[in-house]
Amino acid sequence: MAKKASRVVDVRAAVDAASGPLQEAAGTLAGMEVTLRNMVRATVERKHVTIQYPEQRKPYSRRFRGVHVLTLRDDGRLKCTACYLCETVCPAQCITIEAMDVEDPTVEKAPSVYEIDLSRCIFCGFCVEACPEEALIMSREYDLSATSREPERLTYGISALTQRPEIAAYGAGFRPHMDYPLVESYLPSAVPGPDGRAKAKK
Amino acid sequence: MPMVTIDGRQIEVEPGTSIIQAADRLGVEIPRFCYHPDLRPEGNCRMCLVEVDGFARLAVACATPVADGMVVRSPHTSPQASQAVNGVLEFLLVNHPLDCPICDQAGECSLQDFYMHPDYGLHKSHVDPAEKVHKRKRIDLGPRIVLDAERCVMCSRCVRFSADVSGKAELQFIQRGNHVELMAFEDRALEDPYAGNLADVCPVGALTSRDFRFKRRVWHLEHTNSVCAGCSTGCNVRIDHFQNHIERVVPRRNPSVNSSWICDEGRLSWQAAQGGERLTQPASGGGYPPEIRWSEAVKAAHELLTDRGERPLAVLGSASATNETLLLLRRYAEQAHSEHWLDFRLAEEVQLVGEREDQLLRRRDKHPNTLGAVYLGLAGARGGLPAMLEAAQTGEIGALLLVYYPPLVGEESAGVAEGIARLLANVPRSVVLTTHRLPYLQGAALQLPVAAWSEEEGTYTNFAGTVQVVERAIIPPGMSRPATAVLADLVEHQVYRRPDADAERLFAELARTVPAYQGMDYAMLDSRTATTYPPEGRMHYGQEGFAGR
Repeated sequence: MAKKASRVVDVRAAVDAASGPLQEAAGTLAGMEVTLRNMVRATVERKHVTIQYPEQRKPYSRRFRGVHVLTLRDDGRLKCTACYLCETVCPAQCITIEAMDVEDPTVEKAPSVYEIDLSRCIFCGFCVEACPEEALIMSREYDLSATSREPERLTYGISALTQRPEIAAYGAGFRPHMDYPLVESYLPSAVPGPDGRAKAKK
Repeated sequence: MPMVTIDGRQIEVEPGTSIIQAADRLGVEIPRFCYHPDLRPEGNCRMCLVEVDGFARLAVACATPVADGMVVRSPHTSPQASQAVNGVLEFLLVNHPLDCPICDQAGECSLQDFYMHPDYGLHKSHVDPAEKVHKRKRIDLGPRIVLDAERCVMCSRCVRFSADVSGKAELQFIQRGNHVELMAFEDRALEDPYAGNLADVCPVGALTSRDFRFKRRVWHLEHTNSVCAGCSTGCNVRIDHFQNHIERVVPRRNPSVNSSWICDEGRLSWQAAQGGERLTQPASGGGYPPEIRWSEAVKAAHELLTDRGERPLAVLGSASATNETLLLLRRYAEQAHSEHWLDFRLAEEVQLVGEREDQLLRRRDKHPNTLGAVYLGLAGARGGLPAMLEAAQTGEIGALLLVYYPPLVGEESAGVAEGIARLLANVPRSVVLTTHRLPYLQGAALQLPVAAWSEEEGTYTNFAGTVQVVERAIIPPGMSRPATAVLADLVEHQVYRRPDADAERLFAELARTVPAYQGMDYAMLDSRTATTYPPEGRMHYGQEGFAGR
């Protein structure tokens, strides 16, 4: 079979012919069309698209799946009974529980260790759905970071999951039974900062 | 022999066999709470009701002996039996607290399994939860057992175990009707040395093991079949472990050795193997060099053992070592360039090997493999530790290779510990293969860390000459390796050819060379083929259970 005849095209010459200062300026403006439109709208109509994070934050859905919260009983003890269902269902295997005996005869057991390795957590919310007692819910806290990978940085134990002021500042997030009213006393009390938000964690 | 038909399948069984035993042999599941193969049948739970042709009413499969030509239909094929079993199960659940999420039995509970089966359960209860009769919870029954009376289904397996098997008769039912409750007299602590079995026989979460309480949900556990190394009985056990840590040891049914039982000392013997201060790296003299590679350690051991002039090499094995370890140890001794002295006796093991400590299982010889060492010819004419010590004190021994495992049940006797310490003090060239850092081994010139029970594979020969396989459950700590691997390295230095350290191949050699093991096959002994009770794989979750809803 004979080879099909091909035409040789000088790409550089074609580009040179199609470009010049004017064309380039027009192209830049065309690319910035959306930006310019929003700029005009923001200045004229005072409609801002961006916010000044982290000084300003956007509200998130009540179903937002953020950092976990261990909820409390009326007397301040954990609701968790260490049934291990969250640990069982966790697809990332980031939950570690150890159970202990407690004095209270009406309570079978309670966790002595409850740790969530948030650097492994995928925030799927299965643990919250598995919990039969709403002892574990999620908050709307989303900006979670650490400066090293040492396990203690992002592995939150019982105290961090109940006592960090951020949790209350962001509010409760995903709960399995959203139709039930949230008992606010579940949540740890917050210490609001001067700007109305909780103080950043150390 | 009577021929019986169950669910359309025929089987011929011995006269006197009950229907449930015939069904178990056929693989037809008949639900049961009170029936246990090693307890006398009582027929009180009524869960095993089956339809028998020619009988006016349903019969209990556990207490009805088969007759020739009997045609039996289980709840799987008989709607009448299924309806009856469903009703029985609903009654058993009337006062049950349904606290599965916080119950230790969840995951291996007969109530859960049977309720989730469409032929026995999945009914809607007629009982208002508020009307349930509440009973006592969390009753302390001594160091082994915790009782929750609310979860009990009154099957009386524990009562019969206590009365008939261990003979202590410490449990009984009190009250009647809705208020029946299991109780130990005056709530006294159980004195039974076999009390741990009560948690195993309990089909629900009423009797739970204090040792395993709240430690781990059972569906997280991995299982490895093994044999208890606490004494010369060799009870079959299953090691349940999670993330390289042993969580519990439960008995495995073997009618010819331990039935379904194990003593509490054996049940907890894993704590001795895993606890204490383990030797995790080779150690020379009394000190522990910060870092030493295995190749260097084995070379040092070889030099210590060979540079002894024409004086004899003493090799002292252990009745706690596997047959495979002892085989390599014997080979090492026999290939020594001068005279050797091979033995394993520390004290009176051989005299005690068959002697009973009580009427059920425990034996006075606390070594799992005494008879194996005897079969291998390790009990020589010159005697064990005492004779060796005498010879060492007159300088007759050139070098010593000692394999030593501390006993898993009880402490080493003071005489033996002192004897070992004095032997090591009198023989400057000594190499010890051991699992733990022990004060009486500190006199050794070199200590090499080896795997303890549950960390290596091999075989033990029990008091009756039964050879049984132990499988590896977890990985040995630190630098420890199985003793067979260390001895294979030593033999390699000796003859420049490394023997196989694999348990299966070593056993094949044993079967060829040792008359007692003639014709035995490792695969045939393999504990994976032994029976278990309750039968495994009987979880209904995710199978037909959910489809039936």
